[in-house]
Amino acid sequence: MDDLRLIERAVDMNETKISANGVQVYYGDNHAIKDVNVEIADKTVTAFIGPSGCGKSTFLRCLNRMNDTISVARVEGDIRIDGEDIYDKRVDPVQLRAKVGMVFQKPNPFPKSIYDNVAYGPKIHGLARNKAELDEIVERALRRAALWNEAKDRLQEPGTGLSGGQQQRLCIARAVATEPEVLLMDEPCSALDPIATAQVEELIDELRQSYSVVIVTHSMQQAARVSQMTAFFHLGNLVEYDETGTIFTNPSDPRTESYISGRIG
Amino acid sequence: MTDTTPLDAAPAGKPTKSILVEDERTRARNRAEARFRAYGIAAIAIAATFLVILLATIVVRGVPAFTQTYMTLDVTLEANALDPNGTGDRDEIAKVTTFGYQPLIGQALVSLLEEQRIETPLPPPALILMLSQSAPAVLRDAVLDDPSLIGQTVTFELLTSSRADGYFKGRVTRESLARDRNLGPPHLDILDQLAESGHVERRFNLDFITGSDASESRPESAGIGVSMIGSFFMMLVVLFLSLPIGVAASIYLEEFAPQNRFTDFIEVNISNLAAVPSIVFGILGLAIFIQVMHLPQSAPLVGGLVLTLMTLPTIIISTRASLKSVPPSIREAALGVGASKMQTVFHHVLPLAMPGILTGTIIGLAQALGETAPLLLIGMVGFIASNYPAGVAEGFLDPNSAMPAQIYEWAKRADPAYYERAWGGIIVLLVFLMSMNLLAILLRRRFERRW
Amino acid sequence: MNEQHIASAYDRDLEAIQAMIIRMGGLVESAILEGTRSLDTRDVELAEKVRREDAVIDDLEERINEECARVIALRAPVSKDLRIILAVIKLSGSLERVGDYAKNIAKRTTVLAELGQIPGTNTSLRRMAMDVQSMLKDTLDAFIARDAERAEQVILRDEDVDQLYNAMFREFLTHMMEDPRNITACMHLHFIAKNIERMGDLVTNMAEQVVYLTTGTLPDDDRPKKDRTAFAAPRK
Repeated sequence: MDDLRLIERAVDMNETKISANGVQVYYGDNHAIKDVNVEIADKTVTAFIGPSGCGKSTFLRCLNRMNDTISVARVEGDIRIDGEDIYDKRVDPVQLRAKVGMVFQKPNPFPKSIYDNVAYGPKIHGLARNKAELDEIVERALRRAALWNEAKDRLQEPGTGLSGGQQQRLCIARAVATEPEVLLMDEPCSALDPIATAQVEELIDELRQSYSVVIVTHSMQQAARVSQMTAFFHLGNLVEYDETGTIFTNPSDPRTESYISGRIG
Repeated sequence: MTDTTPLDAAPAGKPTKSILVEDERTRARNRAEARFRAYGIAAIAIAATFLVILLATIVVRGVPAFTQTYMTLDVTLEANALDPNGTGDRDEIAKVTTFGYQPLIGQALVSLLEEQRIETPLPPPALILMLSQSAPAVLRDAVLDDPSLIGQTVTFELLTSSRADGYFKGRVTRESLARDRNLGPPHLDILDQLAESGHVERRFNLDFITGSDASESRPESAGIGVSMIGSFFMMLVVLFLSLPIGVAASIYLEEFAPQNRFTDFIEVNISNLAAVPSIVFGILGLAIFIQVMHLPQSAPLVGGLVLTLMTLPTIIISTRASLKSVPPSIREAALGVGASKMQTVFHHVLPLAMPGILTGTIIGLAQALGETAPLLLIGMVGFIASNYPAGVAEGFLDPNSAMPAQIYEWAKRADPAYYERAWGGIIVLLVFLMSMNLLAILLRRRFERRW
Repeated sequence: MNEQHIASAYDRDLEAIQAMIIRMGGLVESAILEGTRSLDTRDVELAEKVRREDAVIDDLEERINEECARVIALRAPVSKDLRIILAVIKLSGSLERVGDYAKNIAKRTTVLAELGQIPGTNTSLRRMAMDVQSMLKDTLDAFIARDAERAEQVILRDEDVDQLYNAMFREFLTHMMEDPRNITACMHLHFIAKNIERMGDLVTNMAEQVVYLTTGTLPDDDRPKKDRTAFAAPRK
């Protein structure tokens, strides 16, 4: 039994999904990310933790080029997904974002029906040829986000009428519906109560079967609970990147130790 | 842990304060608050008083313009006066001008007075002064419409002259007529008696709302209808030009334009344009549209163009504000599922900003509707005495007036009857503005969605 | 109360730890049985096996402690979950000690195999060991079933073990006074008896932990203490 646990927990670092080398991010004159190297494994939950302003969200947003929308942001270095440089001139960020889905801090469903929320991505990417296929995609996405049972009878009701936790799961369903390969989550539970948080976390754990999940979180406990790998950012540096259990029981860097034990902000 | 200051409770000797007793500070603060509330209430009361006074004045002075005094008169359309050759040919009949009809009216008045046994020292030509100068024209129009009327005795409802009308509305008194060349106390005696017998009567005047302007000497037949159509055509021009241009410009500036000095410069200028006096736009329109582009003067198209220029900054500013108020999370969400910039804007941002945009547009239109100064400069005060031609397309290029310009025109004229009509016009204009504002509120309610 | 956590991985972690404790318990049980059997039959080979297998028990204890630390660090257990973890840590410590005593019995067996038999002692020792083993088994069963009553019963049964030990103590004294050549064997056998008696105490502690885990409070400390050898003196 315990051996099963160990196998389940084991991270196969051979299957690298995302690799970042020498990534630097500047916001105007502000050097926000300093030379980050990280290898993110496939079918793994990787957590980024660190104090506010440490650059963890910034780095996350580099992974699907959300920083492009900020005119003063400048990214240097090399980020590859499946070996392809995502900052290559030939890459259309729209295509990249279909492959790298994102879930945000605040649940942000579109002010449309639950169905339309989930169907939007597949529609614009042309994933469904007809209504029946679209229905299927919506159902699959909602099931995967563990929202189907709650939402199946109210698909035409506005997504904004759901509770906070349900809204966030709707956002996850929306992200999942476009069949991404990587799922980025920017503090997905910070606006949720503990039960909704636990539900979303459980969902993240299940999503690991199919996706590489990268989650930014303020809550160290959350990183501990959901992730297999944890990266600790501090002042724009990647201080430590290791198996989550190791980070939380025996970190190697004194800054990590101080942060996780609540000795520095 | 180096903090050695004891944070313990108050020293033992200090008496605890009862919260049942107000201390001096609290009293002072409460007094200040009460004073502030009193100022606020006073301010609102003053504003409300002014509003009530304003509205009451407008209503009291304007409402009489909606009624007019009519005289019911049986006129014998004598054939030898109107169609001496008895041809019955319309062109022949048209040769008789309104002057030819005047004696008929005089005759009719005399016989009415005889029938009612009213004694008067006045000769028939003087009697006609009781009626509007438009009365012969009314007769002539009826005859030209239907030549078979000639020879018959027809009952007409004729407008009384503005002074007679003013007498019934209380604007004109016997004293004020003492030095009047047109109407004197003897006329009023007749009118009093005719009113008693029901031949003269004050009724609702639809012509004021649908009719056209009239010459200075017969305010009783002037109406605001034609200038209303002028305003309507202008609003169409403004709506179809400023909404697409304004929305497109704001979307570009807000969502797509790079942040640099050039766009900053444009932004500053748009804000400044909103504060430019409207008369500047008027002279701009005069110079460019009329003198350079040679568009017809007084045409609603030109007025609309000028008002478009004036409305654009308002629409751009309000559209940008409503685009800005769409939470960035919606944009991120759309981008996050892989929507392109344009899909994000058109699928998500614009629908959410729509109520704001529509409200802004309607407010802008309402502003343009009430604008006078630029219209005066481009000559949108065309005197249109005839009713509007049938063709709608021509309407954009035909000379016309606009409601506020018309009101200004009337207010400028000497006759107090026109003054009354100016107030009436204001009421019509206000009704328009209020209904537009109501529409804006309804649209906002209807489309407003929470996110 | 819902027994499942929303985070199913948490449940799996807790189950895994408890499964490890049960496995460790099983190993310790067989170490007790095999230790005493090797003594019984003076089977040096079996004794050797018991000594070897203690290493496995020690490894398991270490693993359990690591897992517990991990669960505390990653899941911040509270309430019942916290009690499970705390109990498991103590259980694993006690089990490891019990295993050590069993190993010690096996160690002495190799020495005793060279010495003469002391009549009557084997049966008593075997009975004591069987008692302790069944107490351990019941404790582990009570742990699985979260059965406080059963654990309380175990606590009471320690009395029997203590009494057996008292009896043996006197017996050894008699043997040693009768014939000083018996002293070496008796000393070893006495230590074995003492070990088994200590095992009983440890199992009692474990049973108390089970009570704590189930009810949230430790049982009152009025359990019978029948080990009176501290006051024993050779009769003159």
